[in-house]
Amino acid sequence: MFEVMMYDGGVYRSEELFEMIEDVGGVVLQKNRSSQMLMVTMSVPGEDREAISKLCSDIGGVVKSVPLAGTEIAVIGPTLGRHHMPHPICDIAEELRRYGSVTVVMGLARGRGKATSQISAEEKAIIDEYDAAVFVMGNFKSCVEKKSELIEDIRIPTVLVSGPKPEGIDDKCEAIVSGVGRKASRMRTPPERAKLEEIADTLERVLRDRKRSLEEDPLFVHPAEVKQILEGYEPIDMCLRPSPMVLHLDGLRVKIPYREHREYLENVEVFGRKLGEVADIFPSRIDDSSVIIRIKTLSQVAYEDARRN
Amino acid sequence: METEVIGDDRFGDEAYQRLFDEIMSDLNKAVLIDRAKLVLRPDVPLFIFSIALKSEPTLKTIPDVCNVRAEGESIHLTISQERYAPAILSALWGKYGRRSVFQQTRFDLDVSGAKEEDIAAMVVSSGEETKREILGALWRSMPEGIKNRRVLMDGNIITVVATEEILLPDMMGEGRKIHASMGGAADV
Repeated sequence: MFEVMMYDGGVYRSEELFEMIEDVGGVVLQKNRSSQMLMVTMSVPGEDREAISKLCSDIGGVVKSVPLAGTEIAVIGPTLGRHHMPHPICDIAEELRRYGSVTVVMGLARGRGKATSQISAEEKAIIDEYDAAVFVMGNFKSCVEKKSELIEDIRIPTVLVSGPKPEGIDDKCEAIVSGVGRKASRMRTPPERAKLEEIADTLERVLRDRKRSLEEDPLFVHPAEVKQILEGYEPIDMCLRPSPMVLHLDGLRVKIPYREHREYLENVEVFGRKLGEVADIFPSRIDDSSVIIRIKTLSQVAYEDARRN
Repeated sequence: METEVIGDDRFGDEAYQRLFDEIMSDLNKAVLIDRAKLVLRPDVPLFIFSIALKSEPTLKTIPDVCNVRAEGESIHLTISQERYAPAILSALWGKYGRRSVFQQTRFDLDVSGAKEEDIAAMVVSSGEETKREILGALWRSMPEGIKNRRVLMDGNIITVVATEEILLPDMMGEGRKIHASMGGAADV
């Protein structure tokens, strides 16, 4: 089983770390270099974790736990307007990034208002591409309770963040964190920082349940292994977008156009099988410039093989 | 600025009082406001934000916000109200050009080739503009979805009555009552 961890230290002797990651069959998920400092998020086989940690401390760095690494999370507000968007949503997204997640901030087209707020099928489909969603609502209890209708049909795990604690909507989302509403300034005070940590911890707990259910019926191949295979593909290697490949719990988002690269992706070989056979590959609903790869579970692949034969 | 909040959502009332104070301070409007009354009824939804200004915004000319004196062939200005500094500079640049306006310090300006009476007649802020800015700040502090708004304004009292869909006569009646309670005319 692959485990995700982060190295935080200097660039000195970092080549040794990269070599070791390669030797143990691990993958570098993200690499940020700032001057002489380096942060590397990596996915390595569980049995080699100790050796990697030892090397990290030998070369003068520290190993940090990133419980949300390997996930892509959407932080959603009712609109992109200054009333909803700037402060709490960005602070939450930043905190989730510190926990290792790749985050996307999103506003609904017609999410404002109490009686008139709406979410479209298109928006729901886009949100469903992520591993989890955090919905950030406002300060009035009756509004939050009414607007919980927006998250009813979302299939991925959702966490509702709101000012007051809403009642009677526990079944509409996986978790509710109250105490964060509309704000006109950054969340800087210790109680506010604690609230941000609570949100990240809640999300970690929600995704742990999802990971556990994936462990019961494991994926045919770990997304990090698919990432490793696809890394050599030139259009991905040359892609200038930030994080050209983003890991999901059950697959990955590859930021290259679907129409041009579908054939290659479907035929690329993964452990003796074509990727198209062991994964669903489809264009992202955001636009055609990204591809979503959902890896099938072992039982799903076995069932489909049995049906074919 | 004293802010009174009337509502039955404890969390929302406290949060909106804080939001209102922060937004007005951020936009430099808190100094102009004497009292504010916020009626928050999200269940309807109906929001009434009423403010009493310290004084009714009127037209401001350069001598209202600066000390002006003639020095040789130029006019020397000392800015006494800094919030008008950008408007003063912009008015002087517009009329005399940047080459004729020398800013010696943050508050001291020299304008060459100008007449004192011309500078004294220059308007840096109209009352209407100030009211529009205050109104903008009020709208910014209101919930975003509450788009149907009616403004009651007389003298130094400004009241905004807002709801999401149809603004009913009794909502306007409540708005007028709040407006009157702040010192405004009942028949505005």
